[in-house]
Amino acid sequence: MEILLPVAGMSISLPVLVGAGAMVGFLSGMFGVGGGFLMTPILMFLGIPPTVAAASDSCQIVAAASSGTAAHLRLGHVDMKLGAFVLMGGVSGGWIGVRIIKLLRSMGEADLVIKITYVVFLSLIGGYMFAESLRSLRRGALEPKGHHAARGKSLLSRLPFQVDFRLSRVRHSLLVPFLFGGAVGILAAIMGVGGGFIMVPMMVYLLRVPMHVAVGTDLFQIVFTSAAVTFMQAAVNHTVDLLLVLLLAAGSTIGAQVGTRVGRYLRGDQLKILLASIVLLVMVKMAFGLVQTPAVLLTAAKGH
Amino acid sequence: MRPWKSLTVVAILLSGLAARAPAASPPEPVTMKVTPSVISMGTFYSGARVHVEGTVPQASDVIIDVRGPETIEVFNKVGRAGPIWVNTGKVSISGIPTLLLVFSTRPVHNCLCRSEIDRCELDAAAIKSKIKIEPRAMASEVVADEFLKLKYRQKSYQLANTGIQMEDPAEVGQHYTLDFIWPKNAAPGTYVVRVCACQGGNVEDSLEAPLKVVEVGFPAMIADLAKDRPATYGIISVVVAVLAGFGIDFITTRIFKKKISAH
Repeated sequence: MEILLPVAGMSISLPVLVGAGAMVGFLSGMFGVGGGFLMTPILMFLGIPPTVAAASDSCQIVAAASSGTAAHLRLGHVDMKLGAFVLMGGVSGGWIGVRIIKLLRSMGEADLVIKITYVVFLSLIGGYMFAESLRSLRRGALEPKGHHAARGKSLLSRLPFQVDFRLSRVRHSLLVPFLFGGAVGILAAIMGVGGGFIMVPMMVYLLRVPMHVAVGTDLFQIVFTSAAVTFMQAAVNHTVDLLLVLLLAAGSTIGAQVGTRVGRYLRGDQLKILLASIVLLVMVKMAFGLVQTPAVLLTAAKGH
Repeated sequence: MRPWKSLTVVAILLSGLAARAPAASPPEPVTMKVTPSVISMGTFYSGARVHVEGTVPQASDVIIDVRGPETIEVFNKVGRAGPIWVNTGKVSISGIPTLLLVFSTRPVHNCLCRSEIDRCELDAAAIKSKIKIEPRAMASEVVADEFLKLKYRQKSYQLANTGIQMEDPAEVGQHYTLDFIWPKNAAPGTYVVRVCACQGGNVEDSLEAPLKVVEVGFPAMIADLAKDRPATYGIISVVVAVLAGFGIDFITTRIFKKKISAH
């Protein structure tokens, strides 16, 4: 059974689409990550134009993050103050990112930049996770690099506008969450990701925010950042496909429930090394696509 | 008998003979019926099966072509920059249909002479001779080849199909039928179906009929909203996503609570 995606302008197999959502949801549930960084490349593999894939994935992340935020709000894991400043930076970064995409689209380079950004970030994150997992498997436990974190903290403590974030039990300059949020907002717009896979390690390792508060606060700001990116992508680039979003959300919800249950049977290190392997595989596939001679030396250009 | 009377008798006899002689048969008309005449792109659209049938004069070859409107299509030209493939500029292509499907009883080259194939734009060589490429400085031959390759891959151009079935000669003309799959990724619009009756290497007669492709239902509503009211569409997308997220949380929480209470 096929379904017509009105904005992507193409028919696609309904089971394949819901299956892709379920697969990413399964991985999200099993590994405890958002999955946005996997969803966009998978949509691109399915033939959906990268700009539509990235914009629609942002909207799908709004649904997933809203669900997560509701749960974390009940548990008291959302630092609203920290989240608000991350959010302000995120919205500003998202605005810049959408403008960058618009400019790149007019130059015909948007798809290429999205792919290159993915290859760079997936190789950095996948490589780091793989190396860290291997180390922890050898040592038997995860040990964060204390001296690196301490050096980062001393640099951050010299910045102006220092304030207390009580729920997170940390003191930082207001500029820090704003700038981090801005950087993630730009990435969210370009890559169609929530940015959790960058923001959570930053909060935990650099800002010393407790893990559960980092996850809750990150999800809280992701709802707004991704919502802003979704709105801007729809208004400026006309690339959000609502039908695609709903089908992915339906698939990922079911997949996440199954993944959470399966994940309980695996050890943390095993989960991490599995996830790192998947990330690196996706990266290799995308990198190969960049250097492989295309079947046709013309691609459709959106807009004249 | 006076001469004028004999002339009158001869004239009457001749006219009687003329009336008895078989009348010159009128030319057999080309007819065509396209079913469906409107293809609806609904939610579960995956292309459509199109049936064309009609009659042509006896002993004719039949060529049916379906073509989309001529528009200016803009493409990115891909070239190598170091190890990776990047877009090296835009190229605008015009003067040819957005979609072209050609079907015939025999290979087109066996039905028509070269000049007729070119005039009717029925093969790759004819298309390449009509194509207009801007900027002109670009390697036109290469761009034209790549353009055709892209169209073949998208199934927007399907040439050299010999799928027309001819049936036994009828009283008036010969009956033909054609069934083909409409390309699912063809854009909404009005297309033209043309049937040509060919004899002696020329098109003796032809007939055209429109074939409309329209978006209907939910996809049409979404596409129109996204295009015409992008800000409203953006707000709706966000609201729907947030509601879906909280809805999912509400449902899973209820299920979880039920499981706990069951224990």
